[in-house]
Amino acid sequence: MARIDENGRDDAMLDEFFEAGRADAPVPSSDLLARIMADAEGEAVAREHVKPVSRSRRGLFAALAAVIGGWPALAGMATAAAAGVWIGAAQPEALTVLTGGVLSTSASDFELEEIYPGYSAYVTYQEAMSQ
Amino acid sequence: MAFDQARDVSDEALLVAYGNGDREAARLLTARLAPRVLGFAARMLGGDRAEAEDVTQEAMLRLWRVAPEWRQGEAKVTTWLFRVASNLCTDRLRKRRSVDIDSVAEPEDDAPGAVAGLIEADRARALEGALAQLPDRQREAVVLRHLEGLTNPEIAEAMEISVEAVESLTARGKRTLAGILSGRREELGYGSD
Repeated sequence: MARIDENGRDDAMLDEFFEAGRADAPVPSSDLLARIMADAEGEAVAREHVKPVSRSRRGLFAALAAVIGGWPALAGMATAAAAGVWIGAAQPEALTVLTGGVLSTSASDFELEEIYPGYSAYVTYQEAMSQ
Repeated sequence: MAFDQARDVSDEALLVAYGNGDREAARLLTARLAPRVLGFAARMLGGDRAEAEDVTQEAMLRLWRVAPEWRQGEAKVTTWLFRVASNLCTDRLRKRRSVDIDSVAEPEDDAPGAVAGLIEADRARALEGALAQLPDRQREAVVLRHLEGLTNPEIAEAMEISVEAVESLTARGKRTLAGILSGRREELGYGSD
């Protein structure tokens, strides 16, 4: 019982000290507050400058590449495009492979009349006029 | 943001606002938190005002840096800030001891000024002197609980220990403080019984 009384008395005493301590809390100087706010401003400004730079570094092309799967996908597309150009530009010598011989590849197999039926009449007319 | 409205805004909301570029939110947070961190640091560092100010500035700088990633509801700003300040104080105390143990400010509880009057400032100074004699972790728990008003779970989070450990530290700390201060009751105006 005596011990409980003692503890209670100690607590009451300490509470008074704590109250005094809370009332006597240090007040930040205006210099400290200014330094803290300068840091806050500096960090905010640094963030504002970093954001646009990081966006512009990743340009439209990089963004597009990211959408379709990155550089490996772009490499595949480039290969396909090059193959397309080659197929278009290459000599069609092997066309018979595709047509199975239905179309002849020799120019002598065609007469001009087959694609220009009035040509011989035109030639005859020209010859008659020139005489 | 008007000051009256800002009083109802939580620290967490203000920090998120600052993270989105709101400078006024930073000013309000500084006004709210800097005095608390400074008070805590000054007590942890035995009343060294210059060092306490450096700790306060550094802790607040870390708060500004973490602001863009802060998510409301994940942690309490005050708890986070006290944990940072506590670590900074611990580092400084460790360095101080390793460099020169004599450079540690002596508790001022025997200073004539503290004995002379019965005013509240003398009691505060006596408390500061007594706190300086506590082991670091006990001092930290007592300061956070009884001077900064944190709850035991908040202190447990700030100190990264269990609630039971907090209770033990504060109980031992208070017992030691009572032992130191009870001998000075009369001279500090509490009577002799």
